[in-house]
Amino acid sequence: MRARAATLVRSSWIQLLDRLSITERLVLLLIPPAIGGAVVTILAAALVGPAFVDFLAANLPLVRFFVAVVAILLLTVPTAFVIIYMELKVIARMNLRVGPNRIGPWGSGMSVVHGLKVLLKEDFAPTGADLPVFTLAPVVTFLASAMTLLVIPFAPGLFGQDLNIGLLFFFAMGGLTVLGLLMAGWASFNKYSLLGGLRSAAQMVSYEIPLTLSAVGIILLTGTMSLNQTVLAQSGSALDWFVFKQPLAFLIFFIAATAEANRTPFDMTEADSEIVAGFATEYSGMRFGFFFFAEYVNVFIVSALTVTLFFGGWTAPFDWPWPVSLDPIDAWAAGPAWIALGLGAAILGADVLAVVIRLFGGRAWSIPAAFGLGFLVSGAALTALLLGACFIAFDWFAGIVWFMAKAYAFVFVFVWLRATLPRVRIDQLMGFAWKWLLPAALLNLFITAAAVILLDR
Amino acid sequence: MNIIPGLGIARGMALTLRRFFAPRATIQVPEAAPDVAVRFRGRLQLLVDELGNLKCETCFQCAQACPVECIDMGGHDTRNRFWVHWGAAETYTERRQESALRRSGRPVPDAARRSFAPVEMAPLEEVLARRDYDPEPMLTLLEDIQAAYGYLPAAALLHVSHTTGAPFALLYGTATYYDHLSLEPRTRTIGICYCAACLLAGSARIEAAAEAVLGIPAGGGAGRGGEILERLPTHVPGAASPLVLVDGAAQAGVNARNAATWAQGLAGGGSAPGKGSAAGKGAAGRGKGRS
Repeated sequence: MRARAATLVRSSWIQLLDRLSITERLVLLLIPPAIGGAVVTILAAALVGPAFVDFLAANLPLVRFFVAVVAILLLTVPTAFVIIYMELKVIARMNLRVGPNRIGPWGSGMSVVHGLKVLLKEDFAPTGADLPVFTLAPVVTFLASAMTLLVIPFAPGLFGQDLNIGLLFFFAMGGLTVLGLLMAGWASFNKYSLLGGLRSAAQMVSYEIPLTLSAVGIILLTGTMSLNQTVLAQSGSALDWFVFKQPLAFLIFFIAATAEANRTPFDMTEADSEIVAGFATEYSGMRFGFFFFAEYVNVFIVSALTVTLFFGGWTAPFDWPWPVSLDPIDAWAAGPAWIALGLGAAILGADVLAVVIRLFGGRAWSIPAAFGLGFLVSGAALTALLLGACFIAFDWFAGIVWFMAKAYAFVFVFVWLRATLPRVRIDQLMGFAWKWLLPAALLNLFITAAAVILLDR
Repeated sequence: MNIIPGLGIARGMALTLRRFFAPRATIQVPEAAPDVAVRFRGRLQLLVDELGNLKCETCFQCAQACPVECIDMGGHDTRNRFWVHWGAAETYTERRQESALRRSGRPVPDAARRSFAPVEMAPLEEVLARRDYDPEPMLTLLEDIQAAYGYLPAAALLHVSHTTGAPFALLYGTATYYDHLSLEPRTRTIGICYCAACLLAGSARIEAAAEAVLGIPAGGGAGRGGEILERLPTHVPGAASPLVLVDGAAQAGVNARNAATWAQGLAGGGSAPGKGSAAGKGAAGRGKGRS
């Protein structure tokens, strides 16, 4: 009797499974581990939570470092996606085209699909390649660029580490990129890759010198290599930005940064339309993808450093004339009440808007459609309100908004340059660095030093 | 070289920025139809491949699908003689070029229609009466008609079809199947070289003899038997003097001394293919082989 009941239960269970789609079966499979995981987490938090928190508090610098590294690695992914999408779309607009418009709203899913495509491709290594070096090269290239983000101040108090040698760390880590490219060229077991690697190394080493020298003028002015202090030295209005005190340095820095980030017109290293891909010739799949990942992250990093050094970093470009302050302590104190209020406002707003839409839109809007639109509009309005309140209440939020706006303005300039300028020749590229940029950077350094001594500031 | 360095870059950047805000030129073709008249069907055009051959296969599907019947298909048969309107694709030699020309209002070379030029029907009636209007031995009938006219006029074939009840297609097929039957008056081109070496070897005498026998001047029109006498523009390299060509074939052994004899042979049709033998003794020319 019992066995029969068991069979019945089992067969009905199998019948149920048969009726489900693959996705539904997956969800069903994931429910037990999810519940179990939640229970275990809660138990662990209750049992060892206080001790763990104490441990973390005792090692705050270490925790801060790990959190910063993870946050930076996580930040690079959406950054690269946004810049790739921006490049596709902006260059398309400048060519009077539409650009990607199929995947996602306005084609915004295009870069994600690009990433998935690269992930799905065959990961191939040529015969005779030095496999450990071959595998490490893209990692080194990517990490060298990503780690420079550690010292960039995104907002007041929002940075990985406020190193007192921040600028030096930045250039040192940025210089490691050359190592990655050389590794890729050497390990590929291909003379074209090796030539491409050496070529990019030559370019990047050449442009590293004017890049660093042009920043030395700012070090003279601020007396510190900490990027946070550099930003604070520019606080005030836009007139305090170093771009007005060091215009020549900015010009040299920007040109050299373009070359450092391998952007047109200095993208000789992987000139897609001329040489195969330089050092990346033998790479495929995600290893190849990492080089381009690194390149796009580099664009952001270079823009961020330009903004930090010359355009006041996260500071607002003008003195806020009407000091509005929502006391952030009160906002936090309200706690869950804020969430309830927000949800209530969203639902009420959706209802009101739905009625309005039905009244004025008439029969064209069904009731669910009217409610949906009302919810979307009221949600968008509330989000905008919330963000505006954050902008006023939290200086870190305002800081990150200003910083990102400025940084992406420079990303736009890089894309704009790519849409406009043709590639330069390799000998012109090298000649320009050594014959023009380096003397100009030295001249700028000399004038700045003389001014600092003479004006005694 | 600019006076201000970087001015070109600035101007280029300004151009791309203007383009950034300019309206886009893309037309999203599947979703947005291009702005054309409602009844616009594209441009009627015959496409040629990279070798210059027409791509049209004369399948007539365009003509059948055309809602206002503005596409008209018609052309010449495989031997470039008759105007055919609709029919199997393999019956045409000229494809749609004429149709396109006619549609565009330009004159169409229409040599084929000349084949239907009316002919005197008395000899034909005599042949048909002698055979009691029986089309069954069709080959011998056609051979008799060719003997009467020297060739098979298309108008005569049509008349045979009308009077005997034999299908025109059968008559036409039989007439075009055998090599010795000709739907056009046969012509022979006799070319005589007038270069210095050939003149010394006696080409003038040969020409005079040919003129006397055929009764036509060199460079004039066709003779009674459809012969054309002409002077070659240049000597064929390596050919022996005097050079005489009949339908492009060099005639060996003709010289000033035997010119008269050779010319007599020309008139008799001895060296010419087809007409003489086939018209004379019909059965001998049966089949593809040449007698």
